[in-house]
Amino acid sequence: GDPSSLGLDEEVKVTKKRQPIAKLDDNRLLSQNGIPKLRKAAKQKLRFKGKGHEFSDAARLLNFYQLWLDDLFPRAKFADGLSMIEKLGHSKRIQTMRREWIEEEKPRLYTGPE
Amino acid sequence: MEQEAVALGHDVQVVDPDVRGYVYSLVTALGGFNGEDADKYILGDDALACLRDIKRWLKLYDEKNNRMDVARCLGEANLVNGDLLPILSIWWDNGQKSKHMTRVALACLELLVPLTWPIEYHSQMTVNHHRHTPYLQQTQAQYKRGILKYGGTNLLRAVIRIALPSMAIPRSERESRDEGILKLMLYLIRNVAIISTNARLAAEGEEEEVSRSATIDAFQAQDAFALILTMCSNVGDDFNMQDVVLLEILFHLVKGVNVDKLFMEEDQRKAKRTDELGDLLQKESLVRREYAKNAPTRHGRFGTMIWVKRDDAKVSTVSGQDVLRDDQTTLQKMDQSKKWNKPRPRRKKEDVVQNNNFNMPTHLSGSASKNLRTFVEEFLDSGFNPLFTHVRKAIEREAERVLDINSRQFFYTVGWFLEAERARRVSQMKKRTEQGKSAKETEPDSYGLVAGALNQETFITLNRAMQSSFDNKEWDDLNAQMRCFTQILLTVQEMALSPIEEDQEIAENIQNRIFYEETTHDRILAIVRGYKDQGFGYLDAATELAHVFLRMLERYSKENADMQIRSKRKAKRKKKAEQLNGQEAAGDEEQNSEDEEMEDAVQVTKERAFDFKRFSAKFCNQSCVDTFVAFTEFYKELNSEQLKRAHRYFYRIAFKQEMTVLLFRLDIINLFHRMIKGPGAIDNTKSVFKEWEELVRQIIRRLVKKIDQRPALVTELLFSKMNNTVYYLEYGQEKQTLSTA
Repeated sequence: GDPSSLGLDEEVKVTKKRQPIAKLDDNRLLSQNGIPKLRKAAKQKLRFKGKGHEFSDAARLLNFYQLWLDDLFPRAKFADGLSMIEKLGHSKRIQTMRREWIEEEKPRLYTGPE
Repeated sequence: MEQEAVALGHDVQVVDPDVRGYVYSLVTALGGFNGEDADKYILGDDALACLRDIKRWLKLYDEKNNRMDVARCLGEANLVNGDLLPILSIWWDNGQKSKHMTRVALACLELLVPLTWPIEYHSQMTVNHHRHTPYLQQTQAQYKRGILKYGGTNLLRAVIRIALPSMAIPRSERESRDEGILKLMLYLIRNVAIISTNARLAAEGEEEEVSRSATIDAFQAQDAFALILTMCSNVGDDFNMQDVVLLEILFHLVKGVNVDKLFMEEDQRKAKRTDELGDLLQKESLVRREYAKNAPTRHGRFGTMIWVKRDDAKVSTVSGQDVLRDDQTTLQKMDQSKKWNKPRPRRKKEDVVQNNNFNMPTHLSGSASKNLRTFVEEFLDSGFNPLFTHVRKAIEREAERVLDINSRQFFYTVGWFLEAERARRVSQMKKRTEQGKSAKETEPDSYGLVAGALNQETFITLNRAMQSSFDNKEWDDLNAQMRCFTQILLTVQEMALSPIEEDQEIAENIQNRIFYEETTHDRILAIVRGYKDQGFGYLDAATELAHVFLRMLERYSKENADMQIRSKRKAKRKKKAEQLNGQEAAGDEEQNSEDEEMEDAVQVTKERAFDFKRFSAKFCNQSCVDTFVAFTEFYKELNSEQLKRAHRYFYRIAFKQEMTVLLFRLDIINLFHRMIKGPGAIDNTKSVFKEWEELVRQIIRRLVKKIDQRPALVTELLFSKMNNTVYYLEYGQEKQTLSTA
């Protein structure tokens, strides 16, 4: 109200801010713990037995992802986490990254002398 | 203080006491059981005037003010079971000759119809409605019980008797009063067919007595079926205005009834029921066995705890003995013990379609099955064509008596009876072969009995209705239309196999017409792609239609190698024009909108050869896959026919179209794995299980191979595939396209 009082008399209200809830967003997904880790771990650890062991291979694959997701975002159940990530996959940023990852492994085309 | 009492007290006055007083005094004056001769109802002196006054109360108080107070008072005063039904029974026993008594009986009927009128929850309900609806629904169930079975008298028959004189008059000489009486009688029958106990209210043991089986048995015993048949087969001549009510009655009789079970022979049905019991017992023991596998072998406080070692020297702890068994259960338990659930988007609350819901299966007793079956066969023989042709015309004409809901009822009922006709043919064939006659000896029946639903006009109506329901998002309507279309396709398919040459020709013709329009093909594709939260009934209908349509189209286009279709394409003139004067047209909006109008108007219609491969490839995309995945999620409740449907689709995707990549998504793999390996796997004694197991095995084998070939799949497994990379992921190279430069 009064400009001369400089607001010194007014009580300062202190509201405690809530701890922000952790979110599974594209930042988290692209962070060190996210897809980069997944790609590295897949190269090192994901081994399949192949023909005749289809179902155990599938279980191995699913477990691999479940543990990764549990590290990345412990709050969510496996199925929930998967659907959240799937949704993120529609965003521009993630799509560009996905395309890059695919491009990385494509065989280099011969583009003529440089 | 007073307000509090109103809010809390259990004897709150929900109805104006004055109203209650007036209504009660009328009901008392109507008559009653005599003190000396306690089982004899004595009519009051001014009974007729009382009945008319009650009717006036209903009309001028309830209807005018949009309330339900009088109806409630009448329910509490036990008017129907205490007065109206006894009066009707007097009339039936010894009053039919008296003119006065006949008038009284008619006045009773005039009250019965509004009192039994179905009450639905809808969006425009007032507080008053919400207060009275549950009570009235319960009393209506009691009314129905009384009407179906009142002591020793057949009151339905009495009601029909009231209308018989009006029925006997030819239509040209009938007065509006006669038409009114016919209408009253039919609406009462319809109301009786609709009323059922509300699943959300305690029914106090009335479920049996007002169930569909009881209705059907009563209709058979009291000749209501005979009446319906007569009216249906003469709908074109004598009962022009009654077609829609008749349709409604039929709809409410057959909705949700399983055609296959209806057309089984008694012993077959018994065997089936025994099988079902066996199946259920087996299912239950399966559940138990699965539980026993993981059940603790020690007491509940045994206190086991294990560590799951993870990367970076981290550990997770899981408790319980069951987790010792193997990794799989441990990981499952880790997942299960999480408390947080992803918030689901809240679904928009729609008007509850209670009375018109045909997705709920109905079970019939043995005698009811027999009665309904007899009725259905007679209806197919005499009433199908006249009634449905007539109703279709009324719907097309948008006649005044047709309500929106009738179109949905029409399509569902037509579809249901077509299915019934096919089932009847199968059972007749079986009977003949059992009797030792070869098929050639007996004259095969033609499909003329159901021809009314197989003509060009019906297809046009159906197509138009499907398109508009789809555009306007009226999913329940679309559901009924899809079921109807599926049944038409199946009927035509069987017709093509008929030994009668004429039938074959007609079938050929119909198929040609159905498959000729490209818009039909596109619509089916759009329906499958557009699934989102419309509920299981819709999902079932949509996937079945797609399945049947694709298979028949495949066969038909194979047999007719040079099949032509008519495709409508928008002319691409506009784009070119824009490119030409791109600079000038920037500011000229009027010109632009004119262009658009032009574009709408110019549609190029041309014939071109049909290519089935290209068409079925259109079903090969993420949104179609998502629809079928959503369907497969229900695998525990699906029967083997439905599981097969899903199986065929995924087989088509993976091995005919060679687009397994579309299935390489973790949630899909997770679902497939769970279907085979549990928890909650398909019963492995069923033959479908073997097929699914093989399919899933093949898909996983491919997946494993692909991950080795293309490590990018490790990340792509998380997402729906992007259009521009899906081809590379599948084939390891870019699509060969001709350069346009």
